Amino acid sequence: MSVALQVSDLRLAIGGVNVVDGIAFSVAPGEVMALVGESGCGKSLTAQALLRLLPRQVRQTGGRILLEGEDITALPERRLRQIRGRRISMIFQEPQAALDPLSPVGAQVREASGLASVAAREAVRRMLAEVGIADPDRRIDQYPFELSGGMCQRVMIASALISRPAVLVADEPTTALDVTIQAQILDLLRRLAAERGTAIVLITHDMGVVADIAERVAVMYAGRIAEIGPTAAVFSRPRHPYTALLLAAIPRLADEPKSRLAVIEGSVPQPSEYGAGCRFVGRCPFADARCNAEPPPLLETDDGHFSACWHTERLA
Amino acid sequence: MNPVLAVDGLVVHFPARHGPPVRAVDGVSFTVAERETLGLVGESGCGKSTVSNAIVGLVQPTGGEVRVAGMPVRGADRRTLREIRAKAQIVFQDPATSLNPRMTVGAAIGEPLLVRGLARGRELRERVAALLTEVGLRPEHASRYPHQFSGGQRQRIVIARALALRPALLLCDEPVSALDVSVRAQILNLLVELQQSHAMACLFVSHDLAVVRHVCDRVAVMYLGHLMELAPRDALYTTPRHPYTRALLAAVPEPDPALQRAKPRVPLKGEIPSPAAPPQGCVFHTRCPMAIAHCREEVPAWRHLGETLVACHRAEETPAP
Repeated sequence: MSVALQVSDLRLAIGGVNVVDGIAFSVAPGEVMALVGESGCGKSLTAQALLRLLPRQVRQTGGRILLEGEDITALPERRLRQIRGRRISMIFQEPQAALDPLSPVGAQVREASGLASVAAREAVRRMLAEVGIADPDRRIDQYPFELSGGMCQRVMIASALISRPAVLVADEPTTALDVTIQAQILDLLRRLAAERGTAIVLITHDMGVVADIAERVAVMYAGRIAEIGPTAAVFSRPRHPYTALLLAAIPRLADEPKSRLAVIEGSVPQPSEYGAGCRFVGRCPFADARCNAEPPPLLETDDGHFSACWHTERLA
Repeated sequence: MNPVLAVDGLVVHFPARHGPPVRAVDGVSFTVAERETLGLVGESGCGKSTVSNAIVGLVQPTGGEVRVAGMPVRGADRRTLREIRAKAQIVFQDPATSLNPRMTVGAAIGEPLLVRGLARGRELRERVAALLTEVGLRPEHASRYPHQFSGGQRQRIVIARALALRPALLLCDEPVSALDVSVRAQILNLLVELQQSHAMACLFVSHDLAVVRHVCDRVAVMYLGHLMELAPRDALYTTPRHPYTRALLAAVPEPDPALQRAKPRVPLKGEIPSPAAPPQGCVFHTRCPMAIAHCREEVPAWRHLGETLVACHRAEETPAP
């Protein structure tokens, strides 16, 4: 099987603390891989590291990022500029903030295409139509403020994909959108991944979005992967207590109304509070002395399903 | 018996510098009875928060009437408004901006009691301690400042302050939307407990249909300033009568891959129109999969269909989800 993106042992530090601590995953062409977790779990920093767009205070202290087999971790900025938008692209949570307010949307998509103007206009028009923008001939000359949030996200997707990158990193692409528009954008991403063979890394906090669109999912907690595997397996047989509790804490349309939801006591630790062992230890019902002392390794529990917990068997 | 909250034909229009006014709320009516929790759901810009703000007099209604415990909010003199605001308390989405960062938590929770002369000194401290305990915090937290707490704890503080005057009506405007999943469950459990222990009426404004189903007894669905449907919880979720309700339910991604992927897709076309230029006839007709010529011409009446109230010409034909 070919691999579009392979991340191994990624470590990112702020100050002296590894806020992303040994993340590893791979994505195949046409596959949607979700990184899911609550605020502070390191999912967005991981996404930024994939395009080497990290904030100044964040340092990469380890790991490799292979894009179609090529290690991009050590590339100079000049080479990275040739890769971003061409071979790996990114879309963001606030499409209206990510677009240039002073430039027509068609021009922004064309800029990403790198094509000369005459051929480009037709290519841009086709791309806008492909991402489901009705009346692309009119929209192409409009400015972002004339478009709704959902339509701006379609424009972002068009400019991210027009150069046919191998990988699309989507950082909370539907979080700022309403549910009916979210459903449209998720359908679009699913279709584009299948039709164009784009590998999608989807960053989200929403388990419903993961269930809808991701083939595989990595559940992150405090900078580490707690559990990773096929979406169906992770949801039906979670092998990490954090995943199990998180899934039980979500109100569902099939639950008994007003019943007590499962609770994860306390709140997510600050990086300054990370100890030597498992980072979930302070909130975990299974925690014991070993969990405090030693970080659990990510081990395979079923086919392609890995969990980082000393007590995985208690969830079987 | 009088309902705790009665909203009758509420209209709120915001004037625009250029062009027609924004019709944020355009004729909304409902009641909330004692001990009852009514959910108000809809997408952004539907007017749900404006309804909540109009109830406590934070925005001036353009028309219609709001009564809290029988007292009309519009035209109320200062004394009556003071009384209304004691009876109706509000909890907002972002607890970080709802608390004064330079005020201790104890002072914030005690302030409503102090300014109304209901408690002071030792009695005030005891009341604050009891409120903190009630929302799952500890009495010694009273001397700390908001920044020393997590988001979920801050929302508990805001809830404690809202409960200080024993309100008859609690308005919750997206109270858990800014919180992470694990913390959201803690606050939802707390709200369900408080509904029971305080026997309050509650208006719960949210965009999240699963959350609303979890805490509410009845649910109202809003779109472009109008109510589309209002029904007892189970009726709304099992037999939605309005095509918009049905589409909203279909669009909620369920955190269950097998269920989610088997779900029939009812994608809504297009986008929400501008509330400054709402469509003629039924405001939903531009996106409705069931719209016919009649829907473009005539505003559907707000009518009973079994135990459901619905505004749709074709409500009888809406297929089950």
